[in-house]
Amino acid sequence: FTEMPTDNFVESSFWNFDALFQPQQHPARDQHDTFFLRDPAEAPELPTNYMTRVKKVHSQGGYGSQGYKYEWKVEEARKNLLRTHTTSASARALYHLACQGKFTPVKYFSIDRVFRNESLDATHLAEFHQVEGVVADRGLTLGHLMGTLQQFFTKLGISKLRFKPAYNPYTEPSMEIFSYHEGLKKWVEVGNSGVFRP
Amino acid sequence: MPTVSVQRDLLFQALGRSYTDEEFNDLCFEFGLELDEVTSEKDIISKEKGEGRAEGASETVLYKIDVPANRYDLLCLEGLVRGLQVFKERINLPRYEKIIPAKDEGQKLIITEETVKIRPHAVAAVLRNITFTKERYDSFIDLQEKLHQNICRRRALVAIGTHDLDTISGPFTFTAKTPAEIKFKPLNQSQEYTASQIMDLYRTDSHLRQYLHLIEDKPRYPVIFDSNGVVLSMPPIINGDHSKISLKTRNVFIECTGTDMTKAKIVLDIIVAMFSEYCEKQFTVEAVEVVCPNGKTHIYPELAYRKDKVKPELINKKLGISETPSNLAKLLTRMCLSSHVTGNGNNIEIEIPPTRADVIHACDIVEDAAIAYGYNNIQMVIPKTYTIANQLPLNKLTELLRLDLAAAGFTEALTFALCSTEDIADKLGMDISATNAVHIANPKTAEFQVARTTLLPGLLKTVAANRKMPLPLKLFEISDIVVKDPTKDVGARNYRHLCALYYNKSPGFEIIHGLLDRVMQLLEVPPNKENGYTIKATEGSAFFPGRCAEIFARGQSVGKLGVLHPDVITKFELTMPCSALEINIEPFM
Repeated sequence: FTEMPTDNFVESSFWNFDALFQPQQHPARDQHDTFFLRDPAEAPELPTNYMTRVKKVHSQGGYGSQGYKYEWKVEEARKNLLRTHTTSASARALYHLACQGKFTPVKYFSIDRVFRNESLDATHLAEFHQVEGVVADRGLTLGHLMGTLQQFFTKLGISKLRFKPAYNPYTEPSMEIFSYHEGLKKWVEVGNSGVFRP
Repeated sequence: MPTVSVQRDLLFQALGRSYTDEEFNDLCFEFGLELDEVTSEKDIISKEKGEGRAEGASETVLYKIDVPANRYDLLCLEGLVRGLQVFKERINLPRYEKIIPAKDEGQKLIITEETVKIRPHAVAAVLRNITFTKERYDSFIDLQEKLHQNICRRRALVAIGTHDLDTISGPFTFTAKTPAEIKFKPLNQSQEYTASQIMDLYRTDSHLRQYLHLIEDKPRYPVIFDSNGVVLSMPPIINGDHSKISLKTRNVFIECTGTDMTKAKIVLDIIVAMFSEYCEKQFTVEAVEVVCPNGKTHIYPELAYRKDKVKPELINKKLGISETPSNLAKLLTRMCLSSHVTGNGNNIEIEIPPTRADVIHACDIVEDAAIAYGYNNIQMVIPKTYTIANQLPLNKLTELLRLDLAAAGFTEALTFALCSTEDIADKLGMDISATNAVHIANPKTAEFQVARTTLLPGLLKTVAANRKMPLPLKLFEISDIVVKDPTKDVGARNYRHLCALYYNKSPGFEIIHGLLDRVMQLLEVPPNKENGYTIKATEGSAFFPGRCAEIFARGQSVGKLGVLHPDVITKFELTMPCSALEINIEPFM
């Protein structure tokens, strides 16, 4: 796996949400869960061609999808925030891969800080780290995703895993990964995953 | 993730059998739900207000179930039961039918052009001969609230109003009037109020006050009234008391108004699909004619059944399974997507019901097939992709330096990237505008107002939290700071900084200087002016005068080191002398 560049805590809503098919009226984009920035409040630059395609998929559909059928606004996409997940870095990495012309299979990873506008308590911090991995190739299946996750977690000493259907705006199918915690004697969620939507 | 609260016994009654908590948990897991909590009203009040207040509260067991955010059809008991029953193949998915009444016999909703500027869209439907019990009524109200919070984006996009049709008479008009022109008795109030008075009345209501801003400053407020001028509702704030629904209500008029037509239609479809179960003619809905300002008429609810075709090979390929087409069709039917094999057995035709507005792409169908198959039944394989592993050079450098700094006797700290404006400005003797910092618009507390522009405050706060540890305290951190940068596409960037400090009875400038020399040695930067590093005496607001130096490497300033000013030390609630070093390591890549 190759490490992705993640050295930007500040991200635009475009890369953090829109490019990942999260609709603009989604509750997570509210003030409650996301740290929006006062200064710099807006991203000066967005990739124009790509943005046009993203706008179309949200508002009219495309690539086999019906889309969300709402009016997509570029002002929303320009809003700067502190990234809520490192998947925004994955989006950028995949975009660069697409720009290189000829497709080559890749495996990417990153481990870096993310920010959520939450009150601190025993199980929540406003900033924490995420481990992210992406595999892009022809002919990948859900079974491959499960196999990769099984191997990854086994290396961390967690081998008893169960997968559960979940929902992410940008993946379908999506899975939550649960592992059996011997100490707590119950199944605990250890990760989230999915196959990116076409 | 929305949470639906259902009475356990009602749930089991509807499902036709009992489950232990664990069995039900497993069922939820399989289906993609989460049994979040098993509780009761008494428990809830106990936790929130104390045991004393909970006396006499209901002990009926409640299941709190977490539902995926895109499944509007599972937001109430009726929907959950239906979904689970079909999943377990105990029932077939009911067919929702819209009945179009004969001309002039049906209800009409006329939209005038005044609504265009404030709330342009409206749809409506009628549920005939419905029977409510207390539980069904509560569920009906709850579903509206859940939809309001979820897809309706807290009533901004869509607002739902439900009325007792027998207390009002059509045709109904949806228009917008000035606040002074609107006067009615709001739900559960005892007298009439004008719209402006209603705004004031609900300003202190903990639930409704959050919706007032949606129309408050507009010149005209939306309002729906019947042919006698009786006000049904003033969306999105409140319904009228006159048309309120009771347990005896037999015919319900539902109106959804909003700024997003697609969502209004989905919301209406969901409500009628869910509760038409209790109509005399089960699963039928009476249509309403809606007349637009331009004269065009539409019939609602749409209750559209969409058809799609998916090749069985696609599903098998995407999941890594190999099921026959007829088995796949059975799996999809279990997920409320009625399917059958067509063509020469090489295609599957799927009917997507109006309750599954979340299915918008073939991949949604593939996921449902996987859920019915059982994720944990899929065989795990490793991708055959051959790639070369690589570490990002900046991170590799950071990892190497971390090891050596620890070897030099310094302890690593991991601190928050967000802090208060004082932390990076006032406490270091600087003005906030000079820091070029990134400011956050909506911090919950003062601790998260800005992103740090220096690692120093984090380390100083760490020392303050560890005063009881034996001296000297030698800390370091190699991590990102954030500053504004107009040349970057988002307007800000990270820099990888290295910061170390020495806290003891004597400041230890020589120790920090020695650490700098060691770091430069590791980075293979010689101590000379031409192609290496030098230090030059300078003034720094955070540093003791005459005990501060700027570090230059290959002609470029990379940071500072020195003894910290006593003011700085005191402001961070420390009492001993401290020397510090902070450099940007990116120029050394």
